[in-house]
This record gives sequence, structure tokens and C-alpha cells, in this order.
Amino acid sequence: MANADLKILVVDDFSTMRRIIRNLLKELGFPNVTEAEDGVDALKKLQGGNFEFVVSDWNMPNMSGIDLLRAIRKDPTLKHLPVLMVTAEAKKENIIEAAQAGASGYVVKPFTAAVLDEKLNKIFKTMGI
Amino acid sequence: MNDFAGNEEMLQDFLQEAGDLLSDVDNKLVDLEKDPGDKKLLNDIFRNFHTIKGGAGFLNATEMVKLCHLTENLFDKLRNEELTMNPVIMDAIFAATGVVRDMFGSLAHFTQPAPADASLIATLTAVVNGEAASAAPVPQPASSSNGPDWAVLHQSISGAPALEAPAPANAPAAPKREPAHEPARAAPRRDGEKPPVEKETTIRIDTARLDQVLNLSGEIGLTKNRLNCLRNNVLQGKTDQHTLRDLDEAVNELDLLVGVLQNAVMKTRMQPVGRLFQKYPRMARDLARQLGKDLELEITGEETELDKTMIEELSDPLVHLIRNAVDHGIETPEERIAAGKPEKSIVRLSAIQAGDHIVIEISDDGRGMNAAVLRRKALEKKIVDEETLNNMDEQQSLGIIFMPGFSTKDQISNVSGRGVGMDVVKTNIQKLNGRIEISSVQGQGSTFSIYLPLTLAILPVLIVRVGEQSFAVPLAMVREIIPIKPEEVQSVSGRATMVVRDEVLPIRALAEMIGWPQEAPPSYGVLMKSGSKSFILAVSNFVGREDVVIKPLKGIKPRGVAGATLSGDGSIVLILDMAELLSGESATKSSLFTQSIKNQEAGLAAA
Repeated sequence: MANADLKILVVDDFSTMRRIIRNLLKELGFPNVTEAEDGVDALKKLQGGNFEFVVSDWNMPNMSGIDLLRAIRKDPTLKHLPVLMVTAEAKKENIIEAAQAGASGYVVKPFTAAVLDEKLNKIFKTMGI
Repeated sequence: MNDFAGNEEMLQDFLQEAGDLLSDVDNKLVDLEKDPGDKKLLNDIFRNFHTIKGGAGFLNATEMVKLCHLTENLFDKLRNEELTMNPVIMDAIFAATGVVRDMFGSLAHFTQPAPADASLIATLTAVVNGEAASAAPVPQPASSSNGPDWAVLHQSISGAPALEAPAPANAPAAPKREPAHEPARAAPRRDGEKPPVEKETTIRIDTARLDQVLNLSGEIGLTKNRLNCLRNNVLQGKTDQHTLRDLDEAVNELDLLVGVLQNAVMKTRMQPVGRLFQKYPRMARDLARQLGKDLELEITGEETELDKTMIEELSDPLVHLIRNAVDHGIETPEERIAAGKPEKSIVRLSAIQAGDHIVIEISDDGRGMNAAVLRRKALEKKIVDEETLNNMDEQQSLGIIFMPGFSTKDQISNVSGRGVGMDVVKTNIQKLNGRIEISSVQGQGSTFSIYLPLTLAILPVLIVRVGEQSFAVPLAMVREIIPIKPEEVQSVSGRATMVVRDEVLPIRALAEMIGWPQEAPPSYGVLMKSGSKSFILAVSNFVGREDVVIKPLKGIKPRGVAGATLSGDGSIVLILDMAELLSGESATKSSLFTQSIKNQEAGLAAA
């Protein structure tokens, strides 16, 4: 089980959504959450930010979630980071695209705390956190 | 009924943010009409619907999710060029955004929105599936060019209940289609049990501004400690020069800090006026279409900041003014061509900060106003008598449109022309300590300028005295202070006047205006300007300027008094409402005052 200090970056351009995810994470026992409003902002915050987990939206201006994911995987200092993709689409091709780009997990909006917990635990297990 | 118990805060956040997104969509749609192939616009609108859908999902607003999803799919196809924009699609999209806004309305009352009208869903689905891409006789969605939609639109923008019962539009652009589905579509907001729209009770503030407030209150705390310490010293009889200088310094510092703190707190209430403005292009467009006019609403100065309360209070007056510009101000395309003007008219909405004021202007390039016509109509409607009219210059005649009961349109239209509105606009703006001015050139257009103070919380005033009693007049109206010399006072047709730099100005004695006996002749005059009227307010003495906080008087409302405040020495000062004072005073009264001045003059001469 991951510890409660797990430093998480939540990336979404919609601040209401960031707040929703932050609240759900808090409910699950992860209060250490930082927010970023798009891929560009997220990359800036990730550099030297000692983050251990990323939850990112897909559709964002400036840099989309999938581009952020690709950038993370390309960066030698960040590539190990688990990234959970959040999207409103349950389309097969999107899931495949995310998987190919190296997403650690995939969750479709809207979701409950229980669903998020399940997805997180699955990632923790495979990553051995 | 509350479908969102425990989630109210999240709902508020969502409504504010998603509301902004939807307004952005509205504006982009207006742009898109001009350039239907613009990829960036299509992308942005797609993403906005997508984001709204995502948020709505967490609120279990399934009907909103469904509608946003359909619209989003439509934009996905448009941006991928699987579909090309046409008027049918455009109308469906406009209708869909309107319904989403209605849905926000029911969410704001903690009610899950009702399903969107079935024919709208059917049209959208058909369009997405490429079935209705040609302008076939597909059942039209509740298009925004329908008559009743104005009421809904106005309601959604102004938050005010619809002023009229939905009447069939007789405007040229409204095609003859009976919106059989209209009641269903409007159901969520017109079901009669709708509570009045509540005002937004939350505000988004830049954290840097909050930090500044925190920082300043800390500083004030420190200064307070210092003052406490100095007070102990003084109480123990230590009143040497050093202690007194320290005391003086501490008080000065407190003075400075409180001023800066007031400013910083005021800033937390400041919001960019763009949040208000962004609702108008869509409204102007829909209205123009309904009236068969072609116009563009140009907006500048969206970043100008204004107190949140004022932004809310301005919404209604601006709706009226824009409505007025579109309906009365600009001509039909035919008239414009005949007058040698470009077919498309431009209505400009701008905001700018000028000193300690905000100026908001609505100007059109339409037919302008005809003072003579206004005067004639005013006489016909018996709003003013001939004598008053004869005393009005051109500028004042334009002001006739702000008089209660005035409307120039002979026929009452669905859009404006009920004779209510413009006078309400003026009253509302005056309530905000603002004023409105008109300038108009016939054949070239009209401009309405609204002047507003930056904040309502703090009012800079000039404290004047009548006898021993202090009164405060708004400093914004004060031009200068002059001594009244009895020998310079002249009586012109029974009224006391004085010549200041070649201008003959009437003198109004404050004592008489408030119905007090004139004990001693006033020795000072405050040159004031109210609207386009200048006059000299005669007082016994003046104290100086002060920034005061207006406390409304509860239970009583003396004429001409806006409220009260406490002065530095703890006494109560009445704040005068000059507009109200001026409106009720009669011309003959001043003769008494002239007499008393003349008597004094005689006394002086005798001495």
C-alpha cells in the first residue's frame, strides 16, 4: 500500500475538475496533491518537483494529456512516473493510444472514489509502490 | 428540493467555471458564423463542450452530459471536416448552447435539468449522422431567432424574470414556424415554481491579492501594539517630546496602512468587466437577426476591473442599452444602403478606467437621435410642459429618453418600446453613484457613456457646514470652493446668481434646500457639477475632504439624504443626495436668500 505522503500532480484545465479529483484523492487518504492547469504547466512543475504520481486529463489546451504523457516518457528523469489518464471517452482507440504512449492506467469520467481507488491500487501493485 | 445536498460548493464552482466556458462558446459561435472553417475556433468550442460534459458527469446531470456529448460529437466531425457547416447546423448549435444555459439555470436552483427537447436531440443526432447536412425540411430546433426566445435569453443574461409573456414575433427575420416544442424546452425554467435567481455569492480572487491583505493586516497589528505601548507611556505621565513624536509617527503609519488595506480589500472585490461583456455579442446577434438587422458588437477593455456588486447591478442597464441600440439606434440594411452607409452596423461596447472613474460606453453608428422629435413626443405624451421644454437645450432634450413613460416607437414591439427601461437604466446607474450621458449626431449614431466610481464601499466627500451641523457632499461633484462676496451676488429673474469666470451660475443655499432657516448669510460657495448642470452650493463653512463609509439610515428616509457616517470626532454627518435635493427645489425660494444677501450688502455699505 502506498503511503499517505505520496506526492501527486493533478493536471486538468478545468479547475472544478481538479478540485473534484483532489477531493476524491483526499478521501482515499492522499492529501499531498498539487495542481497544474495543462501539460506545459505540468511539465514545469514535474521538473525537480519530486512528484511520485501523475493524474492527467486528456483534452487540454497548450499541451494535451497524451502529449504530456509522451513527454514524461521521453524525459529520463521522469519516465518512471506512474501516469493515470482521466478522460471522458471510453473509446477503444483512445484506450489503445494511451496504452501505447505508456499510460499506467485509464479512468473514464465520471468516476467514484471507489473506482479511482481500484485504478490506483492496480497501478501501485504493478509499479510495486 | 435539492438534488445536490453536500455538493453545493462543487456545484457553485462548476456553474461559475462552466458558465464562463459557455459564454466563451457563445462568442466563438458568433465568430464562427463569419468564418465557418476556422479550425482553432472549432477546436476550442469542441473542448469547451467536452469540459462541461466532464464536469456535468460528476454532478450526475445526465441530461446535460447527453446534450453536450452530442454537440461535442458534432464539433468533432466539423473540425475533422467530416461535416461542413451550414445554416441548419449553425441553428442547431445555437439552440443547443441556449438549452445548456437553461440547464445551468436549473442547476443553480439545485434541480437536475429536465431532458432537452426531443426534436433538438433528434436534429443534433441527425446532423451528426450526416442525415440533415442539407437544409432539408427537418423539424427546426427551438431556434434563437424565434420571438419567445428573447425572453428566455434576456432572463438568462439579466437574471430578471421575463418582462413580457412570450408573444409571437412580428419581426421581419422571424420565420413562420410554430415552436410546438417550446414549452417542453423551456420547462426547466418556466414551470412557475421557479424561485428568484440568486446572486452569485462566491468570488474568485487572485491569491496574490489575498496575501497582500494578510500582510497588511499583520502590519496593522504591529502598529497597534506600538500604539498600545505608547498609550501606557502617556497614561503613566510620560509625555516628553520623544514619546509624542513616536505617537505621531505611529498614528501616521496606521493612517497610511489603513488606507492601503482599504485599497487592497477593495481590490479583492474587483473583477474584470469582461465576464459581463462576454454575454452580449450573442444577445446582440440574436436580437439583430430577430429584427432583420446586420450588426457586429465590438468589445474593448474587457480587462477593466470593477467592483463585483457593480458588475452585477450593471447587467440589466447594459442589456437595455444594447437592446436600445440594436432596436432604435441602428437602421435596417435597406435604410443603411439608402443612406450610403455600409450594410453592417457596428455597435461598440467599451470600458476604460479614467482616473478614479470607470467609463463604459455603448455607441452605435446608426441613425442618431433627433432632439426636435424627442421634444415633440415628450409634449404629445405630456411628460414635460412647454415651459420646461423651452428651458432645455439640445443636450438636455436628449435626456428626455430617460424620463419615465417615454418611448419613441409608436408601435410597441416585442423587443423594446414599452417605455420602461431607459428611465430604469438611469435610476439604476444613479444608485451606483454613477451617471449616464448621451451624445448623438443625427445620421451618424449615438453614444451612451456611463461614469461609475471604482467602488461603492468608500466615498470621498467634502464636509461642509450649515451653522454647527456638518453635511457631506460627494467629492466627485465638487469642482472648487469659492468665497461668496455679497457684492458679487446678482439677482437674475428672482434667482441668486454669481458670475464665475464669465459663467453665470445659480446659487442654491443648502440651508434652504433642506428647509432650514437661513440664520447667517452663507460665506462659502461650493461649485458643483451634477450631470451637465453647474451650480454653487452656498454653505456657512467647510471642513475638508474625508473618505467615508456610507451607513444607510434604517427606517427613515429624509429627502435628499443618502445616508450617514461618523466623522473623526465621533459626530454624525449626513451624506447628501444632491440629485434628489435638486429635483425637488423650487425656483422662487431663492429670493429669500437673495434678500438676505442683499440686506447684508446694504449693511456693509452702510458701515
